[in-house]
Amino acid sequence: MSVLVVLEERGGKVSRTSWEAAAAALRLAPAQEITAVVVGARTEPLAAEAAAKVFGKVVRVEHPLLAHYTSDGYCAALHQLIQKESPTQVVFPHTYQVRDYAPALACRSGQTLIGDVIEIGDGPVFTRQLMQGRLNGSYRHAGAGPCFLSVQAGAFRADLPDAAAATPIETFSPSIDAAQIRTKPGEPFRGSAQTVDLGSAQLIVSVGRGIREAENISLVQDLATALGAELAASRPICDNGWLPMERQVGSSGQSVAPKLYLAVGISGAIQHLVGMKGSQCIVAINKDPDAPIFEVADYGIVGDLFEVVPALTEAVKAAKQ
Amino acid sequence: MYRELIGAMTLALPILAEPRHFSILEKLLFVALAALSVYGFWSRFGVVLKKILQSKKDADFHLFPIGRRAWDFFWEVMCQAKVIRQRPLPGLAHAFVFWAFCAFALVTLNHCATGLGVGFLSPDSVAGRIYFYFAALFAIACAVGIAGLFIRRFLVRPKWLGEKLSWESGFIALLIFALMATYLAAFFVADASHMARVLWWAHTITLLAFLPLIPHTKHLHLVLSPATVFLSRGSFGRIPPLHGDEDFGLVTGKDLTQLVSLQAYSCVECGRCTEHCPASNTGKTLNPREIVLGVRGYLNEFGPASEEPLLGKYNSQRAVFECTTCGACEFQCPVGIEHVPILVGLRRGAVNTGAWEDQHGAKLFLALERGSNALGIASTERDKFVEKNALPLFDGTQEYCLWLGCMGGYDPKGREIILSLVKVMQHLGATFGVLRKEKCTGDPVRRLGNDLLFQQLAESNLETLTQSKTKKIISICPHCVRTIQEDWKEYGTPPPVEHHSEFLARHIDRLPQAGTGVPHVPRTWGPGNAQTTQAAKEKIVFHDPCYLGRYRNVYDEPRAVASLAGEPVEAPRNRERSFCCGAGGGLAFLGEETGERVSHVRAEELAATGATIVGAACPFCNTMFRDALAARGEGAPQLLDIAQLAARNLPQNNVN
Amino acid sequence: MKIIVAIKQVPERDAMVRITPDAKGLEERDLQYAMNEPDAYALEEALQLKEKSGGEVVVISAGPERVGSTIREALAKGADRAIHVVCDNLAARDALGVARLLAAAIKPESPDLILTGLQSEDLGLGQTGVIVAELLNLPHASLILQVEVTGSEIKAKRELEEGWFQSVELAAPAVLTIQSGGNKLRYATLMGIKRAKTKEVRTVNASELAADAASVVTLDSITLPKKQKSTQMLSGSAKEAAAALVEKLKFEARVL
Repeated sequence: MSVLVVLEERGGKVSRTSWEAAAAALRLAPAQEITAVVVGARTEPLAAEAAAKVFGKVVRVEHPLLAHYTSDGYCAALHQLIQKESPTQVVFPHTYQVRDYAPALACRSGQTLIGDVIEIGDGPVFTRQLMQGRLNGSYRHAGAGPCFLSVQAGAFRADLPDAAAATPIETFSPSIDAAQIRTKPGEPFRGSAQTVDLGSAQLIVSVGRGIREAENISLVQDLATALGAELAASRPICDNGWLPMERQVGSSGQSVAPKLYLAVGISGAIQHLVGMKGSQCIVAINKDPDAPIFEVADYGIVGDLFEVVPALTEAVKAAKQ
Repeated sequence: MYRELIGAMTLALPILAEPRHFSILEKLLFVALAALSVYGFWSRFGVVLKKILQSKKDADFHLFPIGRRAWDFFWEVMCQAKVIRQRPLPGLAHAFVFWAFCAFALVTLNHCATGLGVGFLSPDSVAGRIYFYFAALFAIACAVGIAGLFIRRFLVRPKWLGEKLSWESGFIALLIFALMATYLAAFFVADASHMARVLWWAHTITLLAFLPLIPHTKHLHLVLSPATVFLSRGSFGRIPPLHGDEDFGLVTGKDLTQLVSLQAYSCVECGRCTEHCPASNTGKTLNPREIVLGVRGYLNEFGPASEEPLLGKYNSQRAVFECTTCGACEFQCPVGIEHVPILVGLRRGAVNTGAWEDQHGAKLFLALERGSNALGIASTERDKFVEKNALPLFDGTQEYCLWLGCMGGYDPKGREIILSLVKVMQHLGATFGVLRKEKCTGDPVRRLGNDLLFQQLAESNLETLTQSKTKKIISICPHCVRTIQEDWKEYGTPPPVEHHSEFLARHIDRLPQAGTGVPHVPRTWGPGNAQTTQAAKEKIVFHDPCYLGRYRNVYDEPRAVASLAGEPVEAPRNRERSFCCGAGGGLAFLGEETGERVSHVRAEELAATGATIVGAACPFCNTMFRDALAARGEGAPQLLDIAQLAARNLPQNNVN
Repeated sequence: MKIIVAIKQVPERDAMVRITPDAKGLEERDLQYAMNEPDAYALEEALQLKEKSGGEVVVISAGPERVGSTIREALAKGADRAIHVVCDNLAARDALGVARLLAAAIKPESPDLILTGLQSEDLGLGQTGVIVAELLNLPHASLILQVEVTGSEIKAKRELEEGWFQSVELAAPAVLTIQSGGNKLRYATLMGIKRAKTKEVRTVNASELAADAASVVTLDSITLPKKQKSTQMLSGSAKEAAAALVEKLKFEARVL
């Protein structure tokens, strides 16, 4: 029984979702049977960070051609590792990168990836979401060969115990030919900073008529800044010229579906609702308990926004530390 | 004996002077000039007639039943009813000019016959005297009328006649005046005198100059508009069905039908349509008169067989998609032009071929392609609303199927209106149920010209209604009512449907007045009627929805219901002249307007009446006025649907 | 350029889903179906590439007879012809099994480009395209928003997490999985539907293709998630409510 956990890097360190994947792996096997894997051209610092936590061992998969992520490179390298280690399970965090190569990698071993798992039950039985979260499906792995699975961000708590003694680190050098790498990735870049692209914002704080005056918008802007969110508005605010038209969310403005939509002082008229109803998590702050916005909100606070918003800004800042 | 009396009376008055004898040269000259004149007339009129006749036949045209056509002809052409009613003073002036022309028929005939030596109506016979005096009265009225219209056009210069001065109109006015003047002057010269001959020739030249001018100017309406009125489509805002596999609407000249071409050539450029258009009144590109003249310009340059796109040189796609289909233009037109099918036809041409690329439009279409409502909201939301409020499901036993519609099912305000209506219906003991599944009636996509989507929605809904054994539908939305009753006919047989104002008005005597709890005493709607004290505290201005008023002719019923809650006041533009809220024609789902916002302009007008309540009868009007009225701040009137007005006076213990 | 677009017919997004008594599937009786939205974006991308540089757009879809309506919709929007892989028991195959089916049907076409939607709205696996690439031994890139083709060079704009993007270059033939929102979708038109009537739809039976259906991953059961969406009202003073909200956002909703 051995489990491989493939860790990813973020800003020079192991990413949070990778730690969550490792936590998920602990549901499948005890720590000693878990091998943490780091991939790249220079993996020493990452490996050291991984070695500080309780694992059976850490494997550094290193090769110059792995300096930048490519599906061909990672598949070739990891496939060779899997053939060497013959794990029973291979666990990944469900990131964009993993979605790009893990299915192909699994295919190479004649397997199918069980992706975006939110729960691991006895069996093991893997639960994932269907119909955009409206249903859950539970799956089992059949046959010989490793079980490949990826784990949804936030589904498992990333609290791994620290290692008492240093975890052994191995290096694995796969053989990869330059001709095998068939895609050329460019440098990552941001979307245009000039125009407001609410459509791709992950977090949005939106202000409505409840703000009463233009000067008060700075209150909400502070909250948005603290959250790292984009500022948006309902139609009347843009009509008054308090915020530019491109920040308008609604039937005659933009349609958005961010992870978090925080509606401040917005009543929830239909023209606004149709622009944001697709948001994953909707929070509403309004002094009117009957405001229609509460019907679509996941969380609601009935209160005076001039008190709630500053309090929220403080709370967010504190939480981020 | 009377004959002698009249004869004696008329003997005292002067007679119409005519030249007694024409030389052969004169007769030949007359014939030559007449021939030239007729040739001048036909060289243009023939071309126009050919273009009209060469246009595609209207597949859905039926000459019978002829009764309605005959009535319209009598009322609108002969009595000039619409001409006078919608613009009284100029209308009356025009009516006199028209009646004079009719009265002059025999005069003119006799005049020409005289020139050939075969005059049949002798000026000194009794019949002749009576007739010529009769015509003289009209000539005076006509001369006064045409002079008045001339002054209006060139000195007063009302905005709706356009910026440019129309010199041809001035010249024609002069000719008409000259015709009347030369006729009247002939009463004051000696019979068979030299002056009589001069006047005869002056009258003749004027006449022969006038004739060829007719088809070269907007005065073509003299010949065409009686036919245009007679041959119209038959009901207001009627959108013709597409015909055959290659018909996508009005794409190129080849799609223009005979009726459309006839209407385009009939336009008299009076600007009444533009005067009442919400888009034209708020700074948009759309100008209904220019749309019609654009089609005429297209026909003049390219003709009815052309493959040149209609939305190109003479009309723009942008203008066409600014239309709310309110119908004010069509309603006003005195010569029978039907603007709504032309505009929708042009839209069809753009949408059915995919030439219309509008992100909001595409979003609306995609939402209805894969979902059930125009707002793009999950249908489970409607289910939740129905469940939460314990609305009965229609099972075939109840009397009414209560159609929620997109607004009633998903919009918070629309839902409030539904719940108010439910309360009232329960109070009245009317049984009803809501359908388990509803799809959008398709009104916005129908008016935007997407026939594929409309067919899918209509057929799906008709199927649901048949299966559920619905016998009668009641709806809070005039758009739903119109679409179900009229537009669905293209794909099946919709059950009878009525608007809730019609239902409520029928039961008005069982609905309590404001503050009294006492059932309403039936009375006619109108100012100055005595009112019970409580109700008189509120002043209600009722806004006529386009699709209830002009499209359905329902004006009094909602007023009767609104009067339950207060004293009625009228907006300056009311009833058939009601100014659109701006939501129709699918525009509620499209993006930003340019210029002033139609809803704000109308809200201003309604608030300026000093009313404390704005009464609405359409959830779209309601949503359009909401923000506009709220922007006025504290003193703004309340905005309530008539269902809410009816419900607010119900005894409180009447809950489910 | 020959582009193949793999599309899937899925239950309508706001359909009322009911689980079968054996908890292994969904009640099909009252379900209405539509084209998977990311696939619609893939189709749109293909159509735009064709409009720019010519070629042919072929749609392929696997499933039972009802899939025909979605295929016709794709033809109405502008695809040139279609392949319908008739398979009555698609749900019994796992992602690898489905990909094998599609790869086997696509192989003889030798396309220059294969586009799929990023993931399906019902299962949401997002793997089919990547596995097809692996099976056909083609390079691939996923989460693509825009595609530029010059000759046989492909340049694609790929979406990364948190508002970052990346350009990826690869050579045709290749597979791209397309993310929603990269283009504006076109609506189906009357003209399109009328023209679609004359376009070719070739049917091929799943059994005729050499595509092993043996599942590695098997479905155990389908259940309703425990938490239903309901509004949680947070009470207390402004400070208390704010603190409670931050807690919820961090740990329950996991958006902070």
